[in-house]
Amino acid sequence: MNFLQAVFLLGASALIAIAPSTVMAQGVDEQMLLHPPADSWPGYHGDYSGRRHSALTQITPRNIKNLALAWVFQTDQLAQIKSSPLLVAGILYFTVPDNIWAVDARSGHQIWHYIYPPNNGEHIGHRGVAMYKGYLFFVTPDAHLVSLNSKDGTVRWTVVVADAAKGYWTTMAPLVVGNRVLVGVSGDFDNLTGYIRAIDPETGATQWQWNSTPPAGTPDQTTGGMTWMTGTYDPDLNLVYWGTGNPTPVLKGTTRPGDDLYTCSIVALNPDTGKLVWAFQVSPHDTHDWDAVETPVLVDGDFHGEPKKMLMQTSRNGYFFVLDRTNGKNLLTSPFGPLNWSLGIDKQGRPIPNPAKEPAPDGRLIAPDEGGLTNFRSPSFDPRNGLFIVDAHPSYSLYFAKPADGVYGWAGADYDVWGKGVIEAIDYQTGKIRWSHELGPEGSGAGVLTTDSGLTFTGDAMGNFLALDSSDGKTLWHAGSGSHIQSSPITYELDGRQYLLTSSGGVLFAWALPPEQ
Amino acid sequence: MNFLRLALHWNLWLAAPLIMSLAHAAAQTPPDSAPAGTAVKQGGPVVRKSYPPALVRSGRDLFRQDCSFCHGRDAGGGESGPDLTRSKLVTEDVDGDKIGVVVRHGRPDKGMPPFDRSDQQIASLAAFIHTQQSRALSRGSGGRKGVDAVDLQTGNAEAGKQYFEGMGGCSGCHSPTGDLAGIASRYRGLELEEQMLYPRHAKSRVTVKLSLGQTITGNLAYLDEFTVGLIDSTGVYRSWRTSDVQYKVDTAVDAHVELFRKYTDADIHNLMAYLETFR
Repeated sequence: MNFLQAVFLLGASALIAIAPSTVMAQGVDEQMLLHPPADSWPGYHGDYSGRRHSALTQITPRNIKNLALAWVFQTDQLAQIKSSPLLVAGILYFTVPDNIWAVDARSGHQIWHYIYPPNNGEHIGHRGVAMYKGYLFFVTPDAHLVSLNSKDGTVRWTVVVADAAKGYWTTMAPLVVGNRVLVGVSGDFDNLTGYIRAIDPETGATQWQWNSTPPAGTPDQTTGGMTWMTGTYDPDLNLVYWGTGNPTPVLKGTTRPGDDLYTCSIVALNPDTGKLVWAFQVSPHDTHDWDAVETPVLVDGDFHGEPKKMLMQTSRNGYFFVLDRTNGKNLLTSPFGPLNWSLGIDKQGRPIPNPAKEPAPDGRLIAPDEGGLTNFRSPSFDPRNGLFIVDAHPSYSLYFAKPADGVYGWAGADYDVWGKGVIEAIDYQTGKIRWSHELGPEGSGAGVLTTDSGLTFTGDAMGNFLALDSSDGKTLWHAGSGSHIQSSPITYELDGRQYLLTSSGGVLFAWALPPEQ
Repeated sequence: MNFLRLALHWNLWLAAPLIMSLAHAAAQTPPDSAPAGTAVKQGGPVVRKSYPPALVRSGRDLFRQDCSFCHGRDAGGGESGPDLTRSKLVTEDVDGDKIGVVVRHGRPDKGMPPFDRSDQQIASLAAFIHTQQSRALSRGSGGRKGVDAVDLQTGNAEAGKQYFEGMGGCSGCHSPTGDLAGIASRYRGLELEEQMLYPRHAKSRVTVKLSLGQTITGNLAYLDEFTVGLIDSTGVYRSWRTSDVQYKVDTAVDAHVELFRKYTDADIHNLMAYLETFR
């Protein structure tokens, strides 16, 4: 290649990286997933890093007082929206169990609405669709994967992902890596093996499967390790990062002595083969239902003066972890709220569970509660301030387990005693909380989005959407939504305007500055 | 700023009296205190209403889809939802008259959403839940999850008295012959222990000072960053923008929260044993 060719290529790739996509007909391709244009949100996390941090700066701390409602979409049904919408080629795609809506992002009007047939699977929630080319990928309560045509919601094919009759269900937004659709499964009420399956987007055929735990019935071994939520991806290292869920039986560990690999772990898999490259266990021998499926956020930056490729997770068990994502070595383990169940941290950076705080016949007071110090709510990494910002849930609960509860499924009982919500901005190099913002009693279901103009978007326990100053957590804007916020915000640019998209109850809200500004 | 919430959901105002009474009705009591009419007695002959199998099956399928995540597939309790087979509300329910209300309104203060279900669907859910309750109670001790009052009785009442009057600091606000007299007759077992650790339904007093100096005191009814509301002495709801007033919430209940990090589990069981003497 000569110099002029090289310059042209460099210029062309720069344009692709930052300009709005003008070639819309093909939907989502590999380049869009690697370098999402400003007018897109092509996957659950927005990009492969999971930072949920936007470069858009049209909305600023100075002008946000003028942020106004652009439109609202009402689903007219009771299920709460827990999904992150996709925005591709001016159309939003979002879900509740059994349902996908395609909505015009300019007018807020419905283009099509798909309903999966009635089924007996778990309808606890749904995180959204994945997209590749002009195809959508949608998991169902009865553990099927449906692929649809994005232009009209017609079904291309349906495949079984897991056996719902055994107790599996699916809720997650799949992750597209290359020509693979990665799907995870759920199911804690039975002793089941957890797994991630890679599926061919054209045909629905299984390409590979990675099991997180041994087959049910293996002596002295655990089951569980459900792969509840969407992972992240590093294209340079070619590693997919995923969190796994808790062991089963849940509250009783007597039939599964030892660490219970690979439950409550952050794992790095080769996406081409599904082989495990490394694993770090967040909760060895968990007995409190504390999945480690929270977003594994990928950050390149300095750690104590050295450049590092990091992976960060605020985990349900109450600890904030920073790992070297090239090899899984621990860089930092630090509590981000009250916790009383561990004896400390071992040499590998893993918490050591206190046997005296395992569920007992007369009950144990445990911090945090079963829902955990955080949960499905997406955190955000703000590189400008070096802050990992999370919707946390300081809480206490009672945990019980007795021989009569058996060794299948839940195998015990737990009861929340007290909890609240608070946004915590964690300095990632030390684990110290630089600022916090109270959200109210019981806690908030809202996730966090940050932007380069220094804004943090989230919501409180009373259903107020909030915009905070990322440097100190002060409230800059709010709007009462009238219901429970159970989703994480997204943002994109369309027609030269920056939109913030939030949801509450069964309603989707689009916010923007008035057009003349 | 402290946030106390007595009305989570925007429409809780309309439902507040209903939800308060439902919350009380759902208190978990030992089976031998269930009303004779619904007739489930532990140890003795079990009299149970039997439901058409087809109705129970369709209730089971509906339960599996909407309810089982929180209440367990067998209605014995699951992620964050109580064991319905031990629920007093279920025991007192007749063909869904009480269950239907909870299903359709949810329990916003406890995180249960509402479900839009027809009368026929409610009837099928009730048939399934009652069948599960009958099964659980007639099976004896095997296979039950959930907590009986006797499970919690591993403490020492004298040690609990020492804690109450000493390190726990409880006697600073409470008295066994005063506000807590008869508490163990009003609450039993797990519910007594939960209230002891954190009294969810305790009302907080709030004093609001207006810009011209007038102060108004009442029971806190709503609080977020932007609005404070109270029920005044005449029973009327009043609210103000937090930016327009100064307000002070009586945070006595926070003393319970302060104790969480100080308790040993033995302290909790001893305190329970002591409280159980306040009949």
